[in-house]
Amino acid sequence: MSREELPVFRLVDLRKIYGQGEAAVHALRGVDLTVAEGELLVLLGPSGSGKSTLLNVLGGLDRPSSGSCFFRESDLANAADAEVTQYRRRHVGFVFQFYNLIASLTAQENVELVTEVSTEPMPASEALELVGLGKRLHHFPAQLSGGEQQRVAIARAIAKRPTVLLCDEPTGALDVATGVHVLEAIVTANNKLGTTTLLITHNADIARIGDRVVRFADGHIRSIEANERRIPPSELHW
Amino acid sequence: MRLATLDRKLLRDLKRLKAQAIAVSAVLACGVALFVMATGMYDSLERARDNYYDSARMADVAVSVVRAPDPVANDLAELPGVNAIEARVTGIGLLDLAGKSDPVSARLVSLPPDRHPRVNDVLLRAGRWPDPTRDNEVLINEAFAEANYLAPGAQLRALIYGRYRELDVVGIASSPEFVFAVAPGGMLPEPERFGVVWMGREALGRAFDVDGAFNEVTFRLGPGADIRDTIFAIDERLARHGGRGAYGRDRMLSAQFLADELTSLRTMASILPPIFLLVAVFLLNVSLSRLVATERSNIGLLKSFGYGNLSIALHYMKFAIVFALLGAAIGVLVGRYLGGYMASIYQKVYRIPELAFDAKINVYLWAVVVSLIAALLGAAQAVLRAARLPPAAALAPPAPVGFSRLGQGIENAARNLDGKSRMVARRIARFPRRSATTVVGVMLALALLITSQHFPISMNHIVDVTFGVAQRMDATLTFAETADDKILAEVGRLPGVFSVEPLRATEVIFTAGSRTRRDTLMGLTEGAYLYRLLDQNMDAVDVRADGITLSQNVANKLGVKIGDTVSVQATDGHRAHAEMTVVAVVKPYLAGAAYMQLGALSRALREPGRVSAAYVLMDSRERDALNREVKELPMIAGVSFLSNASASMRKMLNEGSGFFSYMFVVFSCLMAAGVAYSAARVTFAEQERDLATLRVLGFSRREVSYVLLAEIGALLIVALPAGAILGALLSRWLMAQFQTELFTFPYITESSAYGRSALFVAAAVVGAALAVRRGVDRLDLVGVLKSRE
Ligand SMILES: Nc1ncnc2c1ncn2[C@@H]1O[C@H](COP(=O)(O)OP(=O)(O)OP(=O)(O)O)[C@@H](O)[C@H]1O
Ligand SMILES: [Mg+2]
Repeated sequence: MSREELPVFRLVDLRKIYGQGEAAVHALRGVDLTVAEGELLVLLGPSGSGKSTLLNVLGGLDRPSSGSCFFRESDLANAADAEVTQYRRRHVGFVFQFYNLIASLTAQENVELVTEVSTEPMPASEALELVGLGKRLHHFPAQLSGGEQQRVAIARAIAKRPTVLLCDEPTGALDVATGVHVLEAIVTANNKLGTTTLLITHNADIARIGDRVVRFADGHIRSIEANERRIPPSELHW
Repeated sequence: MRLATLDRKLLRDLKRLKAQAIAVSAVLACGVALFVMATGMYDSLERARDNYYDSARMADVAVSVVRAPDPVANDLAELPGVNAIEARVTGIGLLDLAGKSDPVSARLVSLPPDRHPRVNDVLLRAGRWPDPTRDNEVLINEAFAEANYLAPGAQLRALIYGRYRELDVVGIASSPEFVFAVAPGGMLPEPERFGVVWMGREALGRAFDVDGAFNEVTFRLGPGADIRDTIFAIDERLARHGGRGAYGRDRMLSAQFLADELTSLRTMASILPPIFLLVAVFLLNVSLSRLVATERSNIGLLKSFGYGNLSIALHYMKFAIVFALLGAAIGVLVGRYLGGYMASIYQKVYRIPELAFDAKINVYLWAVVVSLIAALLGAAQAVLRAARLPPAAALAPPAPVGFSRLGQGIENAARNLDGKSRMVARRIARFPRRSATTVVGVMLALALLITSQHFPISMNHIVDVTFGVAQRMDATLTFAETADDKILAEVGRLPGVFSVEPLRATEVIFTAGSRTRRDTLMGLTEGAYLYRLLDQNMDAVDVRADGITLSQNVANKLGVKIGDTVSVQATDGHRAHAEMTVVAVVKPYLAGAAYMQLGALSRALREPGRVSAAYVLMDSRERDALNREVKELPMIAGVSFLSNASASMRKMLNEGSGFFSYMFVVFSCLMAAGVAYSAARVTFAEQERDLATLRVLGFSRREVSYVLLAEIGALLIVALPAGAILGALLSRWLMAQFQTELFTFPYITESSAYGRSALFVAAAVVGAALAVRRGVDRLDLVGVLKSRE
């Protein structure tokens, strides 16, 4: 099989248990999922159903308790710590609910922090242009609005041309109009760069921007539906 | 009993903050320990000395005379201000100890026939009191007995006034007069080579040919007596009998050494502890400010529940109080231990019964008070901030820390930095006071260590210069009394002797204006080769015939400078009086005196051709032969070999210095580590989220550690050279502070002192930073994403 035909992620009976004995929490109770190259996947589900846990495992931030989690041909479940770090560095772009920008660096520097150590990054200014922040390069996070900060975070995530973009409730802390801007930035990256994207949301409307929608419940995948058509974020109303 | 909820919070927070509590308390404890040690030792030594001086009736004034008939003593006792007197016979003799080639000098002191001395009591430590009917029964001093393994029952062969006598040691004794027993012409106690021998007045009087007379009187003064008036009256009364001028304790070497030691202790107590306390204040300020900043919302919540500003302030004050009490407790324990060790060293040097480290309760109370004050000073700012925080503002999220670009110049320079280094640079610039605290703390630690390393260097230098460059004789022969210079030819004929140089040393009283001082005037030959006068630039200063050369010390005491005139009054011989011009001022390291060309001195004293000692250069293989002959020469009161003197000197100066040098290494490293640890902890706590984010973004542990450690590293790079400079200045200043009557510590530097100190301090800082760095391995990557800042 050539690389192109390999799925980006292939999960087999993935389980995650926090704690032990009485207090054990089964966050993932056997997840099987395959994610294809270039796909935009939306994860939906009630609070506590295991969405973030899954995303963290996929991003190499957390380890599954059992099962396998293949990124292309390597199993993240059994990789060494340094390998996982390398994986995050080369292949993963993260976007979080709370932006997680470095307060002591400007927008541009936050992006450069990542591009400095990537192999073929786009210029930081170009990444910021892509998310519509070409004019705010030299502002510190404290000088930007929440939506702008989130877009800096997206620019930071996509500037290194990651293989996958993992977004955990990127619009959770934002109002509608701002949220649309942010989603547009994510969709743009997916379209223009072909970045495989996984996006967690609580908002069923947002699910319509994806290729497929994965519904979570209680640590299981309850259903997977393919959207007939991807709706551009600008047409969303919620 | 239920603890108030706030106090339970206090306990839980303290548990969480224990590492920082230890860092702050450790630095505080160092300061307290030094305070307890130095102050406690000062008190103990002073008290032990005063008790001893009181109970054993240490003389306030003493005078030696050529010879005064016994009845004169009754007159002296009647003088106003005099409480008690003891007229006695004393002199110098040589002892021949079995198995010892080098002759031993002894100071012979008479005991009254039927009682203890009324002044300078003699305390029996072992054996019994001599039988007054037996001429040859004697007591010897404790230090000498121990150094030469002599016990009651031992026999000594003594050469007294040219005649040999067999002496039976019947007891071992001590006296406040000889707490620190120094041979005539010597500078240091050398118990192997100098002893005190007490024997019956009758026998000693006969031996020295002063039957029915005395040649020394010691006095105790009554309360409120004016010592200068009394001295004046004594001198007047004894003038006819050859009085050599009465003097007070300031010219009694043993008392002088003790006073010197007390001065050093006081200097130490007043300079060192404050440095540590100051650093502890800074540390506490940083830690508590950080605590209050992280607890903003808690404070707001508590206030919204109705807790008053005062109880909030008190709550945070209690943190400081706990740190202070912890520091004080550790400091007191360590200080007591150090004090005990110091006392054990003092016991070896100073023969004071019941000398032990015994700090009184007020020393400990002060230790606690001082650390509380330091803690409250350190906490004040943070506590005020907590008290003043309006509840609404406290509940709102904190205003984001505003970072800004540095100055344009710095930004340009930073352009080539990578993002991580830029984070570090901006943080340092954003929190200048905190960065400065770290730099200053590390600087002070380094400076202190460098300074402590300079003392042994300085001491060794003193010994090297004194016994290598200034004094180049192999041996010094001291004459029992000033002798005719014909004796020099005789000395020259002693076995192995190549060359001889004379010395005339005499006690004189200098007067300049209203100031007077009794000191030694030394007559040296011009172009002397064996004993050279050196100033601190190591230039040999030739004594001059056209005037007097003063040591800095004497010049200061008299308030004179080059070109001024001092009047010189001899205390013996013809009691000549002369006006002399000060032609030079020198700065010798050891007990400076005054110097003149020998011939000019003799003329001024109207006693030509007299010498009091001879310096010789000799073949060391002939030492035994020389010793044998010297023991037969009645005029010689002592022989001291340079090699022995320099070894004793080194031993005394270095006594305990190894231990204290370790102590300073430990204390300085604790200070540096405490400062670095606190700084790194705060940096880590503030940046934990950023560091975790960097890890999430795919930066390795090493890269993330860099962000944490580079800050400390950068501050260390600034602190090391600054600390070295401060160390040089502090050493210089402290050396000057520790200057006493008897010693001048030169500031002599060796680059190794800097290198070694920097290495220790850097290691302490790196160790502390690495301890904090372990937090990077435990960063919670997932947790940091779930929460807002
Ligand atoms: N570190 C942890 N220790 C123990 N339990 C945990 C931990 N992290 C998550 N859990 C539990 O695992 C389950 C799944 O959590 P997860 O964060 O994946 O939910 P989620 O679907 O992302 O919810 P939300 O929509 O609220 O973000 C929850 O029951 C949660 O309590
Ligand atoms: Mg979640």
